[in-house]
Amino acid sequence: MTSFLINAFKRLHLSIVPNRIISSGYATAVTTSADAISVTQKEWKFPPVYTKPREVWIESLATVEEIKLGLFELHPLVYAAVPRIDIIHRNVVWQKKYRWVSWAQTKTRAEVRGGGRKPWPQKGLGRARHGSIRSPLWRGGGIAHGPRSGKTHFFMLPFHLRIHGLTSTLSAKLAQDDLHIVKDLEIPSDEPEYLIDLIENRNWGPSVLIVDDTDIAPRNITVATETLPHVNIMPVYGLNVYSMLKHDTLLLTLSAAEKIEERILHHLHSITNEQQAEFKLNQI
Amino acid sequence: MGSRQITEKSLSMIRSLPRISLGNIRDNPGSKITQKRGRGQHRGDKHGAGNKGSGQRQNYMRLGYETGNNPFYLRVPSEPYYRGHHHRRQYPPLSLLELQSLIDKDRLDVTKPIDIASIIKSGLYNMFPDQKQFGIHLTDEGLDIFAAKINIEVQWASEQVIAAIEKNGGVITTAYYDPHSLFLLKNPKKFFETGQAIPRRMIPPPDVIEYYTNPKTRGYLADPEKISHERLRLAQKYGYELPELENDVSYNMLIERKDPRQIFFGLEPGWVINLKDKCILKPRDEELLRFYSS
Amino acid sequence: MATVWRSQCAFTRFFIGKIAQIPNNSSDLGTKLSLGPLSVPWVSRNYSNYAHSPFVSKVKEQYEFDVVKNPPEWAYVERLLPFDTIPAVSPKEKYPSGWIPPREEARNLPFFVSRTKNHELPIYLNVTFRGMRKITQIRKIDGDIWLLNDEIKAYLKEAAKRYVETRVHELGKFIEVKGDYVNVLRDWAYIKGF
Repeated sequence: MTSFLINAFKRLHLSIVPNRIISSGYATAVTTSADAISVTQKEWKFPPVYTKPREVWIESLATVEEIKLGLFELHPLVYAAVPRIDIIHRNVVWQKKYRWVSWAQTKTRAEVRGGGRKPWPQKGLGRARHGSIRSPLWRGGGIAHGPRSGKTHFFMLPFHLRIHGLTSTLSAKLAQDDLHIVKDLEIPSDEPEYLIDLIENRNWGPSVLIVDDTDIAPRNITVATETLPHVNIMPVYGLNVYSMLKHDTLLLTLSAAEKIEERILHHLHSITNEQQAEFKLNQI
Repeated sequence: MGSRQITEKSLSMIRSLPRISLGNIRDNPGSKITQKRGRGQHRGDKHGAGNKGSGQRQNYMRLGYETGNNPFYLRVPSEPYYRGHHHRRQYPPLSLLELQSLIDKDRLDVTKPIDIASIIKSGLYNMFPDQKQFGIHLTDEGLDIFAAKINIEVQWASEQVIAAIEKNGGVITTAYYDPHSLFLLKNPKKFFETGQAIPRRMIPPPDVIEYYTNPKTRGYLADPEKISHERLRLAQKYGYELPELENDVSYNMLIERKDPRQIFFGLEPGWVINLKDKCILKPRDEELLRFYSS
Repeated sequence: MATVWRSQCAFTRFFIGKIAQIPNNSSDLGTKLSLGPLSVPWVSRNYSNYAHSPFVSKVKEQYEFDVVKNPPEWAYVERLLPFDTIPAVSPKEKYPSGWIPPREEARNLPFFVSRTKNHELPIYLNVTFRGMRKITQIRKIDGDIWLLNDEIKAYLKEAAKRYVETRVHELGKFIEVKGDYVNVLRDWAYIKGF
């Protein structure tokens, strides 16, 4: 019965040629309506199959008040994944641990000064037998099994958990309205007060992480954020789960959002045998 | 879809919750078990190590040791057919079914000759030359469904497999590669990036010379005349009509073979591939040309 | 052509270039100490091992090479380079391996099972307790997972002629079916068009 049905479908399929849209790269078609709000329809290399793309407003930093410049589509595989809190947590733990070297140090009985002489004879005094005054049993003696310095806590989180951590955090940020997309990072003045006003006005919370595609941000925003410890700029390749959670709001430029999407989609659709292989310290 | 959409549901739930930050995330409950020494009724007493002896002291005897007896593995006569098994060449299998599914999913290009490099490139087959693996053994699973016209080069193949490929108008060659060449074939990009000249392929060791010069096994050192004779013989044995190669549209692809000293298709030993500038360095020196000539 | 160092004739190195000082029994050293143009391999002599072969005295530092830009052989290099991303499957007349491409109609269903990046169905068999427990897992489910669960249960009841236990993990987006029903569920997924 089942095999009959399958054969029927196999035969059916011969006449149906799947209508695939294969576009090279990220061609974007912009349609501008009368009131100058651009709606961007994207053509992805890996189009979303079932879930609808996410739409976000493109904002601008040019004024303190919020202006909407247009609509922008984000890929659901990257910006609307299931927000797995446990995977986010594992990423944060990994980021804390891989650079942590514990310098806690205690002296063993060999390192504590003195104690080379037998304190009293083995027999004849009626006292307990002891061989060294720096034995761990003694007050002022060495520590048995104490921490030794230079212990690394380095480990590598599996590749796809790292990818999933990024998508989970980006999706959670977007779902909680903590992810904003701006056209560029141009601001009219280099005063930090301008940025403080803007963040206050748009209710972005005090701390903001700004992510751009380029290594060199425009002058005004660099000068304005220099004295603000809670507003930070980061290139797109530095994006990580810990920093995203550390800041209240994540601010992506259009090009950064596209770049993140492209890189993560690339990893989700390529052969990752090498990245998934066991991490070896000498692999460079 | 609506509210029963899984992703939508979890994202809309998270909307009404406080902002996710470093302070309010945690792992799944029960995902991490810390090891504790139980007390009393909770696995106390001996802590699962048993009473006295090697179990308690974690001092297990080596495998096969019988506390001084003449052990079993020395008491019985040895089995000689496994002698030296760890030195023998291994050929990890690839079935015709797997090969067909690689072709169906466009992981292998049938318009070009197939060798180990293209099969490993597909990402669904792997081989470890450092573990005494010497290439692909094409096995006969999926023999009946196989329907692709290919020019394939493997390291070991049975008669039925050869018949299955030749029945479909394809060509099969068995060829030997030394481990060093296999490393290059496994990851050609990594080798090109080192900037070394492509080495020569080594000739097979004495015990497989016979296999690779035999036209019945389509050895790469066999006489082409004898191979075409054997192709005909095999077709008569299994009762299929041998498609004529000469009249084929992809004749040029099907007759493409490597030189016995060549590792990559189309690239000769002695060449240096520059991936960055997209150029090839070909030796001109008389000495080198003579060294690399086969 | 490489310089070879072997311990059994280690000291012979000191005699190179000092032929006059070598005693008459120099053949005992196991090395022929001639200083001819030894980098020329084709005037070859077969030495019984590396240690018995002479040291290379003259190595050419630079060999002449033709640098060919955009060579016709570059196509052979490109076919060796790894895939950038996994290629999409082009539509074909038939797929002899039994693989079936996903169909467009499946996207209109209230639930969806997406393919893996290797274009395979995400249906797996998990074997635990040394083969005593077999659990079939369907992963990457989108949409109404409970409706999908009901459909699977009904389908399996008909196919296996018995009640089949299932378990839904909503957040993990997968369903576990007790028993080995990989082939049955794969057939079902192909019929649905996933």
